Amino acid sequence: MKKRLKIIAISSPGGHWIELQKICKPLEEIFNIVYVNPNNQFTKSDDDSSNNISIIDASAKTKLKLIILSFQLIKIILFNRPKYIISTGAAPGAIAVLLAKWLPCKTIWIDSIANTKELSLSGKLVKNHVTIFLTQWENLVDEKIMFKGALL
Amino acid sequence: MIFVAVGTQLAFDRLIKYMDEWAKINSEKVIAQIAEGSYLPKHIEYKKYFKNDEYIAMVKESSIFVSHAGMGNIFTAKELMTPIIVVNRQLKLNEHRNDHQADGLKWMAKLKGVYTATTKDELFDYLKHKNLESDESISPNNSNVISEFIKQLILEKNF
Repeated sequence: MKKRLKIIAISSPGGHWIELQKICKPLEEIFNIVYVNPNNQFTKSDDDSSNNISIIDASAKTKLKLIILSFQLIKIILFNRPKYIISTGAAPGAIAVLLAKWLPCKTIWIDSIANTKELSLSGKLVKNHVTIFLTQWENLVDEKIMFKGALL
Repeated sequence: MIFVAVGTQLAFDRLIKYMDEWAKINSEKVIAQIAEGSYLPKHIEYKKYFKNDEYIAMVKESSIFVSHAGMGNIFTAKELMTPIIVVNRQLKLNEHRNDHQADGLKWMAKLKGVYTATTKDELFDYLKHKNLESDESISPNNSNVISEFIKQLILEKNF
């Protein structure tokens, strides 16, 4: 059997994680998806058998944790060697996308549906570094940002 | 039972205080996930965090789900067919890093089964009248346009 293409799907917990799962679950049948998130009591359910790697929960407010997170992500990306990284945000996805710039790895960013009038903070940060940038709001489209529909 | 949840990263004491006040003067049981909040309610049964499975059960069993204006909870409420009232965090009250929850409120109000409140009075008004409807049109594992686009993109390797 042909080895399935490996994709890392990464986000912070909460809404970002729910949106990420909605996007990536249908992709599981053809790709090997490795989920990376702060895998804690808010994200894990008891019957969850998917391929999941846990990281520290960090945001723009917790600078020290962001540094620890960066080292975790370097290790995860180098070990897994994904062909693609998909993220809905926030901080963990942004760091992963920036790290992937130095690797033969393409990146897809889907800005959260919650950001209706302007891009998310992390979206603005990665906009010029991701391969593909999708918004869920048509009014945010520009030469870099694409709209292909929304989750709701 | 009314279930209240304010997300997983930040505090939202204002909403917990509103609901504590509501629970004091009404008989229906209120359960809350208060996250990083420092206000500890007196009339509400609460936990800092519920486990994912417990959380889902709470949303499912509740008659109304009261939440911060977060997308995750809107998805969960819609899938479990529980009407949801969302109250937005405000930048000027230092409740979030930007005002996207206020921006989002207008379109959230257009979603079926989603009710929006910016003040205590608006929130209490919805709770009082109790004629909230849930959305019964969404199914949880629908494939969607975004997944389909990404799938084609990767399979055709055209980027």
